Amino acid sequence: MSSASIIPNLLTLAWLLPLVAFAVICLGCSMVQRRQGQVPYELQRRAGLLSVGAIGAATLLSFIALFVWLGTHEWTGGAHGGELHPNGPPRYYADDWYSLVEIGSLKLTLGYYVDALTVLMFAMVTFIATCVHVYALGYMHDELHEVTDHEVNVRGRHLHRPGRFHRFFQYLSLFSFSMLGIVIAGNLAMVFMFWELVGICSYFLIGFYIERHSASTAANKAFIVNRVGDFGMLIGMMALWASVGTFSFGDIPQGDKVQPGLFSQLRNESNDFALVPTVGFVSPQEESADAKYPGYWLLTIAGIGIFCGCVGKSAQFPLHVWLPDAMEGPTPVSALVHSATMVAAGVYLVGRFYPVFTPEALLVIAYTGCITLFIAATIALTATDIKRVLAYSTVSQLGYMMLALGIGGWVAGMFHLMTHAFFKSLLFLCSGSVIHAVHTNELPLMGGLRKKMPITAYTMLVGCLAIIGAGLPIAGIGLSGYYSKDAIIEQALSFAKLNGPHRVLLLAPVLGAVLTAFYMFRMWYLAFVGPPRDKHRYDHAHESPRVMTVPLLVLAFMAIAAGWNVGPLCITGLLESAQPIGTAVGAKGSLAAALTIPAESLSHAPAIKQQAGLWAFGAAALGVLLATVFYCWKVMNSSEVASTFRPIHRLLLSKWWFDELYDWVFVKPTLAIGLGIAWVDRRMIDGLIHFLARCAKWGAGIVGSIFDVRVIDGAVDGLAALTWGGAGELRKIQTGRLRQYVMFIVLGFLALTFAALGVAFAR
Amino acid sequence: MSHASIYLSVLVFLPAVVALLLALFCPKGADEACKQFSLVTTLIVLVMSLLMIFGGAPVQFAAGTAEMQHLFAWDWIPSFGIQYLLGIDGVSYPLVALTALVSALAMAASWPITKHVKAYCILFLLLETGMLGVFLALDFFLFYVFWEVMLLPMYFLIGIWGGPRKEYAAIKFFLYTLFGSVLMLIAVLILYFNSDLTKLSEDKLLTTGVIPRLALEDGTLASEALAIADWKVSPAGTRFIEAVEANRPVHTFNILALQQMGQTTDLFTAEGWLGKSLSWWAFVLLFVGFIIKVPSVPLHTWLPDAHVEAPTPISMILAGVLLKMGGYGIIRICYPICPDAAFELAYVVCGIGVVSMVWGAFAALAQSDFKRMVAYSSVSHMGYVVLGFGVWSAVAENFYNSEYWKFGMNGAMFQMIAHGISSAGMFFMVGVLYDRVHHRDLNRFGGLFAKMPTYSGLAIGIFFAGLGLPGLCGFIGEVMVVLSVWSFSKALAVISAAVVILTAGYILWALQRVYLGAEYKGPHEEALTPITSRELWIAAPLLALAILFGVYPRALLDYMQPSVNAQVEALAKLSKDRGYTHLALSEEVAGEAATNHAKIVGR
Repeated sequence: MSSASIIPNLLTLAWLLPLVAFAVICLGCSMVQRRQGQVPYELQRRAGLLSVGAIGAATLLSFIALFVWLGTHEWTGGAHGGELHPNGPPRYYADDWYSLVEIGSLKLTLGYYVDALTVLMFAMVTFIATCVHVYALGYMHDELHEVTDHEVNVRGRHLHRPGRFHRFFQYLSLFSFSMLGIVIAGNLAMVFMFWELVGICSYFLIGFYIERHSASTAANKAFIVNRVGDFGMLIGMMALWASVGTFSFGDIPQGDKVQPGLFSQLRNESNDFALVPTVGFVSPQEESADAKYPGYWLLTIAGIGIFCGCVGKSAQFPLHVWLPDAMEGPTPVSALVHSATMVAAGVYLVGRFYPVFTPEALLVIAYTGCITLFIAATIALTATDIKRVLAYSTVSQLGYMMLALGIGGWVAGMFHLMTHAFFKSLLFLCSGSVIHAVHTNELPLMGGLRKKMPITAYTMLVGCLAIIGAGLPIAGIGLSGYYSKDAIIEQALSFAKLNGPHRVLLLAPVLGAVLTAFYMFRMWYLAFVGPPRDKHRYDHAHESPRVMTVPLLVLAFMAIAAGWNVGPLCITGLLESAQPIGTAVGAKGSLAAALTIPAESLSHAPAIKQQAGLWAFGAAALGVLLATVFYCWKVMNSSEVASTFRPIHRLLLSKWWFDELYDWVFVKPTLAIGLGIAWVDRRMIDGLIHFLARCAKWGAGIVGSIFDVRVIDGAVDGLAALTWGGAGELRKIQTGRLRQYVMFIVLGFLALTFAALGVAFAR
Repeated sequence: MSHASIYLSVLVFLPAVVALLLALFCPKGADEACKQFSLVTTLIVLVMSLLMIFGGAPVQFAAGTAEMQHLFAWDWIPSFGIQYLLGIDGVSYPLVALTALVSALAMAASWPITKHVKAYCILFLLLETGMLGVFLALDFFLFYVFWEVMLLPMYFLIGIWGGPRKEYAAIKFFLYTLFGSVLMLIAVLILYFNSDLTKLSEDKLLTTGVIPRLALEDGTLASEALAIADWKVSPAGTRFIEAVEANRPVHTFNILALQQMGQTTDLFTAEGWLGKSLSWWAFVLLFVGFIIKVPSVPLHTWLPDAHVEAPTPISMILAGVLLKMGGYGIIRICYPICPDAAFELAYVVCGIGVVSMVWGAFAALAQSDFKRMVAYSSVSHMGYVVLGFGVWSAVAENFYNSEYWKFGMNGAMFQMIAHGISSAGMFFMVGVLYDRVHHRDLNRFGGLFAKMPTYSGLAIGIFFAGLGLPGLCGFIGEVMVVLSVWSFSKALAVISAAVVILTAGYILWALQRVYLGAEYKGPHEEALTPITSRELWIAAPLLALAILFGVYPRALLDYMQPSVNAQVEALAKLSKDRGYTHLALSEEVAGEAATNHAKIVGR
C-alpha cells in the first residue's frame, strides 16, 4: 500500500474507533438498564475502560500515520527561510467516501482531506484525549457509586442519585469521534455536520450534572450561542454553494478525471495561486456595471460568514459568553472540550479555510481576535473561580491565534493552537486535581496547597510558565509557549510595520502578554503559596491518585517540549510544509487598498525577531513581577487597588456586563416577540375566525327569524288558516236536514249533467 | 385487469374493506380483537407498500425512473370523463410508504383508547384509505373524493376521542379544511371546463393514461397501436372522435393530462377575472386550499387546537401524514398545472414559507403546553417545504441553472418525509407522558431522565431530529432547502438561515424543562413508570429511521429524485422557453457559465 491509501485509512480507522465505543456503550448499557433498572457499577467501569481503549488505539493509529507521513514526504525540518514551496504545492490526499445528496453536479458528500495539518491535528487531539480519558477514570471515580450532589437540594435535602460513570465516557467517545470528524472532513458541509455534533456533545458534557439547573442552562446557552455563529456560517456556506457549486476543499478524483475543489478553483495556477473570485461570484449588476473587483464583495462576505461559525465555536468576541459558563461541566471536559480541542476547532477551520479568506476578511478576523484577547484577559484578572480564570485565559489565547491568522501568521497561529492545547489541558487537569482535593473552585478558599500536592503544584507551574511564554530570548530556548507566542508577536510586529493605522494589532498582544502573566501567576500564588485560608479544606487536601498525576506529568513534558526541534518531530517544520498554497507570500487588499498582509517569512528577519522577543519577554516578566508583588510578597494590597479603581473593578467583575446586555437586547425581546406572536394567533387570527363564525351564526339567525318565520312559515300558516277558515264555512252546510241534502243531490246532479253536456258541445 | 390495478387498489381499499367487515361482524365488547385486527391490517398495508421496493410483490416500484409507474385507468363516470385512475411515481411512493408506516405505528399507539373502540377502529381504517387514495389518485375528481373521505373520519376522531375542547377543535379543523376544499373544487371546475383533450397528441394521451394500456393475459402491456385501436371503439373513444369531428372540446379531470395542458398548450392562459389569467386564479385557489393543510401562516391556527385536543395516535397521523397532503398537492397539482402563475407568484410562495418558518418558531418559543409547542414546530418545519418548492431559481441571478431549484425541491420532499418521522415521534413522546400524568404543562415536568431513562433517551434523540441535528433526518431536508435559497433570493436565504437559532432555542428549552432537572414538579409522580415494550416498539423504529435517513439520505432520495428532477427540469425549461427571465442574459453566456463554474474572470 502506498502512503496515499495507508494514511487516510489509518486516520479513518482512528476516527471510527471512538464511534464504535460510543455505540457499544450506548446500546449495551441502555439494554442492561432497561432489564435491570440500573447499570451495575462494574459494567460502568468496563464501559469507561472500553472508551479509554478506543481512544488509546486511535492515538496509536494517528501516530503511525504521522510517522508514515514523516517518512514519505518532504518536510523542511525546522525553520527555513520560508521560501515559497520549493517542492510545489503542499501534498494532500482527498476523496469522497459516499455522497449524502447528489443532484446533478451539486453534491453533499462525506469525504476526507488529509494533509500535514490533518495528520498533526489527529496526533494532537488523540494524544490529549487519551490523557484526559485516563485522568477521567480517576476524576470521575465518584460516579462509580451512589452520588450525593451537594449543589442540588430536593425537599430540603441533598440529592442522592446513582452514579453515571458510563454516560460520561459514552459522551466523551462521541465527542472524540465528532472532533476527529471535523479534522478529517474533506468538505465544508461535512465540517458543518461534525461542527454541530461536537456542539451537541459539548451540550451533553456541560450538562452532565443534569440535576443542576445551572448546568443545563449553561449547556443550552453554549448550544444556542454556537447556533448564532452557525447562522453566519450557513450564510457563508450558501454564498459559496451558490457561487462555486462545491464544498470540497481538495480536488476529488472521479474516474480518470479530477473534479476541482474550492481551493483550486479560487486559487488557480494561472493566477499564481492568488485569490480570485470565480464567475459564479459575479452578480449580473456587477458584470454590466463593469465593477472594479467583480465578485470580490461576495467572496469577502462568504469568508466572514464562515468565520462567524468559528467565532461561535472558538468563543470569540462577541460570542465568547458561553465558554466561562461551560465550566459547569466536569473538569476533564473543560480540559478536553473547552480548552484543547473543540474550541480550537474554530481556529482550525480558519486555518483550513485560509485560502478562501480575502485580506479584508482576514482583517476582520484579526480585529476580532485582538478585541477578544484583550477583553478576556481583563476579565481573568478579577475572576476568583479557578476554572473561570482558565476559561477566560482560553478565550484570550484563542484570540491570540485568531489574531495571528488574521495578520498572515498561518504557521504562528496553528503552532500556538498546538502548544496551547498541551499547556491548557495540563492547566485544567491540574485545576481539576486541586478541586478534587479541596472540593471547591474558589481561589480565596485555597492557599498553601503546594506542600500538600506537590506534583499538581509544580506541573501547574510548568503550565503557567508555558502559557506566559517563558524562555530565554538570548539563548533562544524556552517552553513551548515561548516559541509560539513569540512567533505571533513577531508577525504582529511585521504587520504593524507595513500597516501603520492598524498598530493596535501589535499593542494588544503585547499588553495581553502582561495581563496573561499577571493573572496566571495570581492564580498560582493564590492556590499554592502563602498560608492556607481555609484550614478545614487544607487539612483534607491530598495529592491525587496516580491515574490522575501520570497524565499531568506527560502533559507537563509536552508543555515544555512541544516547541522544540527534536529529530524528525518538529511541529513548525511540518506546519510550514502544510501552509495552504498561495498564502505564504502575503497579499494586498482590494477593497481596502492600504491593507497589506505580510508574508510570514518576513517575520523571521533577525531584526524583527530580536525586537519581538525582547518585548514578549519584557511583557511576561512585568506581569509575573506584578503578580508576585501583589500575591506572593504582598507588598501591595490587591483589595486596596481594587477599591481605588472601583468602576473598572466592577466592570471586570461583572464580565463587562455582556450577559446582562445580551439578556436585554436579545433574549428578552425574542421571548417577547414569541409571546406577541402567540397572542396574535390567539386573539387576532382566531379572533377573526371566531368573529366570522359569530357573523355566520348571526346571519343564520336573521334568516331563521325573518325569512323562515315571516315568509315561509307565513305562507304555510296562511294556507293552513285558509283551509281552516274554508272548512269552517263548509261545515255550515252540514245541517243534518234530509230535505236539504236531497236538494243538494239534485242540484249537484243537474250541475254535473250541464257541465258534461257543455264539454261535449265544446268539442 | 393488470397486476398493478389489483395491487394498488387493494393497497388503497384494504383498510376500508376491513372497516366494513368490522362494522358488520365485530361483536360488541371484542375491543382487544378489534384493535389487533386493525393493527394487522395496517401492518399488511405497510408490508405491501415496502414489498414494492424490496421485491416479492408482483408490482415493483422501479427506482431511478422519472415517469409515472403502474398507471391504469378504468372509466368511472364516462359522461364526465371521470376515471378511476391510479399510478405511482417518485413523488407519491415515499409518501405512500410514510402513510403506511405512520398508520401502523399510530394504530399500535391506539391501545390506551378504551372508548367506543369498534367505531374508532372503523374510522381509523377509513382514514387510512382516504390518505392512501389521495397520494395515488391521478384523476382530479377521484383525488377530491379521497380528500373528503379523509376529512370526515378525522372530524369524528378528534370530536369524539379528543380532549376537553374537542368539539371546538374538531369543528375548527373541519371548517378550515372544508373551506380549503371548496376553493379547490372551484379551481377543479375552472380547470375542467377549460380543458380540452383534443389538444393533446396521441402519445401524450397514452402517457397520461387517457388511453388506457391494459395488460394482456401474459402480464405484459398492450402495444400502443393495440391500445389505441381498443380505445377507439370504447365508449370514451367514440365520444372523443365525435367531439373531434364536431369540433367540440373534450373536458377531463385527468391530472396528468391537465399538467400537459398547463405546460404545453395555452388553454389556461386565457384571461379570467381582474386581468389575471385562468391559470393564475386556479393556482391561487389551489394554493390557498393546500396551504391550509400544510399549514402555513396565516391559515395555521386550526393546527395547534386540533393537535392539542386530538388523541395521541391521531396527532401522529395529523402531523405525520395529513400535513404532507398540502405539500403533495402543491408539487403534484399547483406547480405542474399552473406553471405560469407559479412563476409569477414564486416570491409569494417563498415568502409564505419563510414567514411560516419564523412565525412557527417564535410561537413555539412562547408555548407552555408541550403538545402546542410541538404543533407550532410543525408549522415552522413545514415552512421549509413550501420554501423549497418555491425557489424557482432556474433563471434568477447570474446563470441559467436549474440545479439549485432541484436541490430545493428535493430538499422539500425530503423534509416532508423527515418531518413525518420526527413529528410523529415527537407527538408520540408527548403522548407517552400524557398517558401517565394527564397533563402537558411544560413548567410542571422535570427530572424525567432519572425516572424514565430509556424513554428520555429516545425522546431526546427524536427531538434532536426535529432540531435538525446532523446525523438525523431533519438536518438533510433543512440544509438542502436553505442552501438552495441563496440563488433565488439572498434576503429570504438569510432569514431562513436564522431560524436555526430559534429552533435550537425552543427545543432545548423544552427538553430542559421536561427531561432535565432534579425533581418532577407536577402531579401523579407515582405514575411515571418506565416505557413499556409496546411504546418502545413504536418509538425505536422512528428513531432508527431518523438516523438512517440522516446518515444515508440517498436511501430515500434515490427513489424520489428522478421524478422530482424531471418535473423541475420540465418547468425550468418552460420558464426558459417562454422567456421568463428576471435578468436579461444572453443564452450563450449563461450556458457557458453553467457548464464552466471554474472559469476565472480576470480583474
